[in-house]
Amino acid sequence: MELRKKRKSTPNIPTASMGDIAFLIIIFFMTSTVFTREKGIKMLLPEKSREITKVKPENVVSILINPEGALKLKAPGYDGIDISPQQYSEVKRIVEEKLLERDTLLVVSLKTSRDARYQAMIEVLDQIKLARVVTQDGRELRANKISLVPTSEE
Amino acid sequence: MRKSIIRRFTRTPEIPTASTADVAFLLILFFMVTTVFRATALNLRIVLPKAKSTERILIRRNVTHLWIDNQGRVFIDDSLVPKEKVSSRISPKIAENPDLVTILNIHQDIDYGTVDVVLDQLKEARAFKITFATEFGG
Repeated sequence: MELRKKRKSTPNIPTASMGDIAFLIIIFFMTSTVFTREKGIKMLLPEKSREITKVKPENVVSILINPEGALKLKAPGYDGIDISPQQYSEVKRIVEEKLLERDTLLVVSLKTSRDARYQAMIEVLDQIKLARVVTQDGRELRANKISLVPTSEE
Repeated sequence: MRKSIIRRFTRTPEIPTASTADVAFLLILFFMVTTVFRATALNLRIVLPKAKSTERILIRRNVTHLWIDNQGRVFIDDSLVPKEKVSSRISPKIAENPDLVTILNIHQDIDYGTVDVVLDQLKEARAFKITFATEFGG
C-alpha cells in the first residue's frame, strides 16, 4: 500500500520563477550595456618612405591652415586666395569644381600649421570629404586623394 | 442551467508560462552576444570636433583607441604614453592584426602639432588605417 503511494507523486521542480530570474538578468544586461557607437572620418595614411610621388601641379588643390584658422588655397585658376573660418564651405565648392575638371587625378593637399587648432583642420577635412560631384557619364566623384602634409615638411 | 454556471467558475483560466523562461534566456543570449563592454572608462575631458561627413564605423573588433585629452596627453589602452613613443605601443598590435583601425579621439582645441607627431608615429608603426573620431553636426 505504501509503496504505491510513493510512486504516484512525481518529482517536481518549481519553474514558475525561472522567467522572473531570466528577466532580471536581462534587465541587468540592458542597463549595463553601452552600445559602442564609433563614428568619425576615415583616412588612410601614406607609407613612410623617402620616395616622393610626383604630382602635376595642375592636379593639386593645396590648402594651408594658419594658426588663426584662416586658409590660403592654391589651385589652378585660384592663385592663393584667402578664406576666413566663416567661409570654409568655399573649400567644398572649389574642390567640387576641380573634381569635375581633373576627375580622379585630383589631389588635395592639406597643410596645417603646428599652432592651428585641431578642430580647424577637421572642419576643412570635413569640407573636402563632403565634396562630391556627378560627372556627365553618371559617375560619382569624391576627393579620395587627400594628403595631410606633415608640419615638418617645408 | 445552474449546474453549468458552477462548472465554469471552478475552471480557472491559465496562461501557459512554461516557455517564458526560454524566451527570456533567448533575449539574454542576444544581449550577451551583442554587448561589447567598454574596455576603458576613461575620465578624460575630450570634446570631439563636429563634422558633417561623420560616418558610422561598423567594425568593432579590429579597432584600437587612442586619446588625446585637453592637455595634450596621449593615452593608449588606459595608460599614459609619451607622444614620441606611440609607435612602440601600436606596432605590436599591428604585427598581430595588420587590418587594425586606430580611432583617434582628439580634443578639439589641441594644437595640430601634437596631432602631427602622433600621425607620424602611426605611420612609423605602419598603422595606416585611421579614423578621426568626430561628432555629427557642425
